[in-house]
Amino acid sequence: MVDRPLDETGLVELARRGDLRAWETIVRAHQGIAFRTAYLLCGSSADAEEAVQDAFVKAYRALGRFRRGAPLRPWLLRIVANEAKNRRRAAGRREALALRVAAYDRPGDAVPSPEAALLRGEARARLLAAVERLPDEHRDAIACRYFLELSEEETAAALGIRRGTVKSRLSRALERLRAELEEKP
Amino acid sequence: MSELEQRLVALGRELDLPFEPEVAPAVLERLEGRRPFPWRPVVLAFAVAVIAMGTALSVPEARSAILRFFHLGGASVVRVETLPPAVERSQAGGLGEPLPRAEAERRVGFRLLLPPSAGDAPVHVLRGSLASVVVRSEGRTVVLSEFRSRPEALRKLVGPETTVEPVQVDEQPGLWIAGGGPHVLTYFDRDSRYREQPILVHGDVLLWVRGTLTLRLEGRLTKAQALELARQVR
Repeated sequence: MVDRPLDETGLVELARRGDLRAWETIVRAHQGIAFRTAYLLCGSSADAEEAVQDAFVKAYRALGRFRRGAPLRPWLLRIVANEAKNRRRAAGRREALALRVAAYDRPGDAVPSPEAALLRGEARARLLAAVERLPDEHRDAIACRYFLELSEEETAAALGIRRGTVKSRLSRALERLRAELEEKP
Repeated sequence: MSELEQRLVALGRELDLPFEPEVAPAVLERLEGRRPFPWRPVVLAFAVAVIAMGTALSVPEARSAILRFFHLGGASVVRVETLPPAVERSQAGGLGEPLPRAEAERRVGFRLLLPPSAGDAPVHVLRGSLASVVVRSEGRTVVLSEFRSRPEALRKLVGPETTVEPVQVDEQPGLWIAGGGPHVLTYFDRDSRYREQPILVHGDVLLWVRGTLTLRLEGRLTKAQALELARQVR
């Protein structure tokens, strides 16, 4: 039992020495973002869960190669994303994303009129459909950077590309989205 | 950030992402070389260990105590000194797949109890065990969830600042859980697999029992409004 909190560097050091309880704490801290990343990349809940499990097992076994002092999350997301993309390739397709039918109110939200709610819903659906039509490499960049709200560095790590490539892919993807949204008012 | 980029971020927050699974036990099993085993016999001890570890991690120099249990149907509300850390942003949604009522009832295996205001609203089903509908009441969005009562099917952790008050709904026992902060919800799915999910509860919660079902109402209603809506659930 741990009596006081350890920072992540301390937990990684313990895990390197074979402390599975320390690794469990790390898994719990990152499994949410890991699952969301995997799901957005492979599009299947079952595949995403499997990808995340495999990724955490592989990451633990690869801790000896993890650079001491480096941020852990981008390194983990890279492994998760590789597992997820392997499954997407194997499946040959990805299910389309969907919007929640009803979002929770946020504190202080005014209740929108039915017309406003409808228009907002249609606009969101159009934008999502446009994202889904992007080529995979553009869509993945949009998903990581905006849907998952990863930093550019984390997006680059997750997708296994350079930061400059992230910028250029995002720029092209945004350009395509703007063009498509203007074409189909 | 441009307007389009802001719209994409907002869109990401409203995606219907699946419930985030608890993978830590399976990862540890594989790393320890153990074969998977049925969760039920060990899950209670494991849950207590998680609570104890979570609270210990969250409070420097001190261990948190479990202060009190409240049992109701298939739910337990556990008051702890300090809540486990909410380590990740959770999706406020994740209610499960939206389905027509008949299909939802087939999936969960029981007849749904709904208020008249539910109309033909889709029923969200999570892992074949938890059914939820989103309804409007008193101008607010309210989530009604129900599941078959079974021991420890659902466990909610609350902090000392949350009040837990016994109430009655149609002469059946209930609990009114008011006051906030993140709650940690754990439950068994239909395959008896243990799940844990830190959730941010937007409002207060009414839990009550009707026959073999445990029902849960979540939203920013007053206690009187929640009890009135609960009485309309048939």
